[in-house]
Amino acid sequence: MAGGSVSECKEYLFKVLVIGELGVGKTSIIKRYVHQLFSQHYRATIGVDFALKVINWDSKTLVRLQLWDIAGQERFGNMTRVYYKEAVGAFVVFDVTRGSTFDAVSKWKHDLDSKVKLANGNPIPSVLLANKCDQKKENSNNTALMDNFCKETGFLGWFETSAKDNINVDEAARFLVENILANDKGLPYEESNGDRIKLDQETVAAESKSGCC
Amino acid sequence: MAAEDLPSEFDVVILGTGLAESVVAAACSRVGQRVLHVDRRSYYAANWASFTFNALLTWIQEIQAESLSEEVQDRSSLVEEGEELIYLSGSDSASISNLQVFCYVSEEAEEEEEPANTTEEEEAGAAGEGAAKEPSETESAGSKEEEAGEAAEGDEQAAQEQGEEPKADQPQPSAPPSQSEPTRKKISYTQLVKEGRRFNIDLVSKLMYSRGSLVDLLIKSNVSRYAEFKNVTRILTYRHGSVEQVPCSRADVFASRQLSVVEKRKLMRFLTSCVEETEEHQAYNGRPYLEFLREQQLGDNLQHFLLHSIAMVTEDTLTKVGLASTRHFLRCLGRYGNTPFLFPVYGLGEIPQCFCRMSAVFGGIYCLRHSVSCLIVDKDSNRCKAVIDSRGQRISCSHFVVEDGFVGADRKVATPTRLLSRAVLITDASVLPGDSEQQVSLVTVPPTDGRPAVNMVELSPSTMTCIPGTYLVHLTCQSVGSAYEDLSPVVTRMFCMAECQDEENRPAVLWCLYFNMADGSGVEPEGHDLPSNVYVCSGPDGALGHEHAIKQAESIFLKILPEEEFCPPAPNPEDIIYDGENTSPTSIGEEEEEEGLTAAGGEGEEKQQEQQEEETSLQPEE
Repeated sequence: MAGGSVSECKEYLFKVLVIGELGVGKTSIIKRYVHQLFSQHYRATIGVDFALKVINWDSKTLVRLQLWDIAGQERFGNMTRVYYKEAVGAFVVFDVTRGSTFDAVSKWKHDLDSKVKLANGNPIPSVLLANKCDQKKENSNNTALMDNFCKETGFLGWFETSAKDNINVDEAARFLVENILANDKGLPYEESNGDRIKLDQETVAAESKSGCC
Repeated sequence: MAAEDLPSEFDVVILGTGLAESVVAAACSRVGQRVLHVDRRSYYAANWASFTFNALLTWIQEIQAESLSEEVQDRSSLVEEGEELIYLSGSDSASISNLQVFCYVSEEAEEEEEPANTTEEEEAGAAGEGAAKEPSETESAGSKEEEAGEAAEGDEQAAQEQGEEPKADQPQPSAPPSQSEPTRKKISYTQLVKEGRRFNIDLVSKLMYSRGSLVDLLIKSNVSRYAEFKNVTRILTYRHGSVEQVPCSRADVFASRQLSVVEKRKLMRFLTSCVEETEEHQAYNGRPYLEFLREQQLGDNLQHFLLHSIAMVTEDTLTKVGLASTRHFLRCLGRYGNTPFLFPVYGLGEIPQCFCRMSAVFGGIYCLRHSVSCLIVDKDSNRCKAVIDSRGQRISCSHFVVEDGFVGADRKVATPTRLLSRAVLITDASVLPGDSEQQVSLVTVPPTDGRPAVNMVELSPSTMTCIPGTYLVHLTCQSVGSAYEDLSPVVTRMFCMAECQDEENRPAVLWCLYFNMADGSGVEPEGHDLPSNVYVCSGPDGALGHEHAIKQAESIFLKILPEEEFCPPAPNPEDIIYDGENTSPTSIGEEEEEEGLTAAGGEGEEKQQEQQEEETSLQPEE
């Protein structure tokens, strides 16, 4: 593992998916959480795969969270495997002001569970976000219903969030990361995949020193 | 997930998600073109796809059912004055033929802990369960064609009698000394199905030359960030009835136990002399490479290695070609490992999807199970000005890129249809057990008795393409007969099919699939009876590398956008770092920002270094 120099600090890299219907506020939640920003003006994110949030979880744990937005362009529900693979957690987002986006939640959850699993074959931990709660019209209390829905659909839990008013975004993320860490049982990221090769641009070091003949 | 209408205007519409099409999609989106990329299939990557075991069974079923193409709908109502329609072909089923499946393991579940419950892949679930539950009524007939389904049963043409009777028991050859477990575990068919999602079985079998055009493009475009790779760790060859390792790097040559000291010296001298073209080489340019090799007095061993495993050419290949191929091999050695080749973790089917993801990130719109039924052509200019999709929506576009299989035969330049023969085996051991169980090997099998040379790639579970305790073996050759006729002799020689008390200790085949695929190397992007802004992408070719598809994609891109750069590097998302405590961004934010990312913040660099310690990081040449 990297960082052998720093005593026993453990570092994790977690890929977390943020899925849900168009316009439910996926990008806004990511921007709020990662960049502490909120903009009324929705702009489809061009050219950015994921946002990275670095969390000093505790004195011995550093978590790098990669939040993968579905490119709005994949909105027809045909994400590539590249999007899903090796994800360890997910947020499924719906918009409390639009019932149809909630109806789509189980479809998204089903799609998620069919395309990615933990190494042990279990579904990846996922949390349901009822976003735009600042705009909720009536003060209905659906807590019991929602708890039940989560149980049935296999969500760890749900949060009423508002990216705009910064409600519960950090809490939801903390809740998910706790669960991911619990799953992880102290296995640092990629320890087992040590000899996999990444092809990158930046590093320009020992190229072909080991040349053949 | 919602079934919304698509926008009605794009710059480039692309039908088919094979490698070349996907590269064109990424390249066009990357420079700001509005791209619509669709595929009639329910999966990405067309004939370049990789499947879980269950999804492969479904694919087999679909091929055997020979799904009739949908009725051609009359779209003439959507045509305006001065326009005419060109209907596309509704299916590409013609590209796969002679499909045969054999199963050599017990189909009965030994321990029925839970019902064959395959929630994994929705599409595959049906096939998986059907197959698993179907009792093997008769041992012989039941275990071929077991891939289930009504389709298979009705379809007798594929069934072919095999000498051996597949039986339940697995051979248990003594394990190599290094193996931790003393005996191989029995793997049942149920287990293959149950753990089916952990297989990634490619329809094509290729490797990536470490200095080939695909690796260069992945690095240059930053699409490489979506994939990881394994080194091919060994090059093997089949010779005199056994499998031998081919020494190709300096270290291999010195470590080799098969080579005499004299041979080692000769081989090193020869390889060194190959690097630069000499007058002697030129003198042989027009003569066979084999003659040139003979002249070097290398001896049979070395000659075999050099011809079949390093140059990978045939006996009548010209010296010029043989030497060029040898040099390419040598150039690729040592960049990442001891052989010239890389293989993507999770299979080759990842690669087209990596390019699709890049296209989507840059605004490309993706729809599977969605096709283009016809083109609207402007009569005066003979250009395609719009397409009509499978839902009858008219979508205007400036360019149309299409997979070969969707173009009607009447529109294509008649080229002799060449085929590739393919076999896919799931086996229980390596053809050459070694110190590590995680070897990834290329095995070259020279031509014999009029049968073509066969390339065999043996993948271990470390490539995430098969489950622990198994190997996935891909065989490919230019076809002479059917895939079964071409490849089963090699399979029979190198593997045992059923319960054989195999004194030669050959690996056992648990399950295998043969099929022929159209060879894409003959298809040209242009010159067909099609409008001038319609470009045809060929399917996979038979070469080991990916040069054909990448060159084709680049040439299509340059025809569409002659002024633009082909796949400039995409910004690295890791360069956009916001620290938990420190709210000020370290760098960039603007979407337009593309260049200058090299000036990433210090944190980015740190991260790089950390990664380096864990993984062999790779460097492009500057």
